[in-house]
Amino acid sequence: MSIVDWFVLIITLLAVIIYGVYKSKSEKTLDGYFKSGNSMSWFLILLSIMGTQASAITFLSAPGQAYTDGMRFVQYYFGLPLAMVVLCVTFIPIYHKLKVYTAYEFLEQRFDLKTRALASILFLIQRALSTGISIYAPSIILSSLLGWNIYYTNLVMGGFLIIYTVSGGTKAVTYTQMQQLLIVFVGMFLAGYMVVHMLPPNVSFSDALHVAGKMGKLNVIETKIDVTDSHWWKDKYNIWSGLIGGFFLALSYFGTDQSQVGRYLTAKNTKESRIGLLMNGLVKVPMQFLILMVGSLVFVFYMFYQSPVFFNQKEVEKVLATDYKTSFVNLQVKNDSLNVIKQTQTHQLVDAIHQKNDLQIRNTQASLKETDKQTKTIRADAVAIMKKADKTADTNDTNYIFLYFVVQNLPRGLIGLLIAMIFLAAWGSIAAALNSLASTTVIDLYKRMWVKEQTEAHYFKASRWFTFGWGLFCIATAMFASKLGSLIEAVNVLGSLFYGTILGIFLVAFYMKRVGGRAVFYAAIITEALVIAIYISDVISFLWLNVIGCLLVMGFALILQKVLVKPTTK
Amino acid sequence: MEEEKSSISKKWRNAYALVIITLILLIVFFYFFAKQFV
Repeated sequence: MSIVDWFVLIITLLAVIIYGVYKSKSEKTLDGYFKSGNSMSWFLILLSIMGTQASAITFLSAPGQAYTDGMRFVQYYFGLPLAMVVLCVTFIPIYHKLKVYTAYEFLEQRFDLKTRALASILFLIQRALSTGISIYAPSIILSSLLGWNIYYTNLVMGGFLIIYTVSGGTKAVTYTQMQQLLIVFVGMFLAGYMVVHMLPPNVSFSDALHVAGKMGKLNVIETKIDVTDSHWWKDKYNIWSGLIGGFFLALSYFGTDQSQVGRYLTAKNTKESRIGLLMNGLVKVPMQFLILMVGSLVFVFYMFYQSPVFFNQKEVEKVLATDYKTSFVNLQVKNDSLNVIKQTQTHQLVDAIHQKNDLQIRNTQASLKETDKQTKTIRADAVAIMKKADKTADTNDTNYIFLYFVVQNLPRGLIGLLIAMIFLAAWGSIAAALNSLASTTVIDLYKRMWVKEQTEAHYFKASRWFTFGWGLFCIATAMFASKLGSLIEAVNVLGSLFYGTILGIFLVAFYMKRVGGRAVFYAAIITEALVIAIYISDVISFLWLNVIGCLLVMGFALILQKVLVKPTTK
Repeated sequence: MEEEKSSISKKWRNAYALVIITLILLIVFFYFFAKQFV
């Protein structure tokens, strides 16, 4: 990285930290620390919700996913707007009416203390581990591509935000998220603009979309499900899993995950919370669509220019230092010559598109697909060699594609800004996570069960210490995180294992008035064991685990209510 | 009071409908967008 890039990176990060600390000066009470004294407008709520959900992984992995698998990942967000409506109708009025600090506080009022504690603990496990991954995921990519030390990168990724999160609580988190999102949007827009700008002079934005479409990268809607295929349940991203699975995942994430609930509980009133959530429902899908489109455009860029056989250069360097060097170099040479053929064919395709010559379009498309197939075979061979050279090699480079493009092709200054963007996107979601881990620990466990009847000042101080402690725990998790496949998926999988059960508890609370605490508590424990067993047996896509978990809790709770509670005569 | 309450809830119902209609329109747009470039 050049000095200009370092300057842009350091100044941007410092500015956000200083702004966060400045905004945190006035917070001295528990209400101010966790709920911002209920002072937030819908606009801040919206940015905070989006900043919490969109982590660094979102901006690194999504373009890579579009590059390899096309844009169908966007369908995963189709259930989100529907979930926002259900939240506005059911969850928000109750949370505001009961003036809760955390979502789990409501469970005690509806059921009992043990159900509240169970939901809090499930949340703490899931959120703490996934926050560790949120630190590690962008760190490993940055350290591989830029040659940084992974441990120091982890420290910067998860450490500096602790300063303003500890000192300012929710208010500092929300205000810094506003700055962070602004920089992230500017960065993504500039990256998208630069991809199109750097295409050959005769290739327009529309031509690039045509090429992406012809190569199957604009597969935004997939409606077909082949039920004769026994693996159709495992298909991750089609419109049905997106609408149904995505709905349940979004409902549980936004309705029962304290890292999100804690954002909209800071609103001035119910109206501001609702508008914030509904606006999120309106903008999230188009936003994700645009991020994925940047990935498809990067794919088109590499149709005209040399692409490496493998994007994770650290793994390439590792294999080049072994006895397998010659066979790997041979594959690189083959890949380069195929790239040249691909470039010529892509130019021919663009010419055919300009001339609107359908026959030529079809012919070039077919030969391009054939070349692409050969490139994929070479890539698979390269991966096999890497595996042979080192059994522990990370053979999934999806998350490296976008940043490789940035570092290799963008002008000085912009590289620094985009790397700052990765850090800030990570900080936004990690800060909210730490704040929610602390609020759940203090409100649902420490103040309620462990150290009762203490002063406000004591709990305020404890909140700061717990935020700090969780920050250290998450950094430690990041230091120990190992290969987890696609990292965005790892976070989602982890969420799916627990979210369904937690959502089930909440839906029983809201809609099944006759079910009591004991029944729902045991139903949740049985369900969690079953969900983990189903995940291990690998019979279904993880997106469906939420639906299964949620429905099982509701079903078991109904049955157990009848079995456990004997009818009494009045 | 009753009238005021029902007009507020009507406003919210319209807002919810707007979100759902926008989602449907987006899906339709995506479908034709993808079809145009395939």
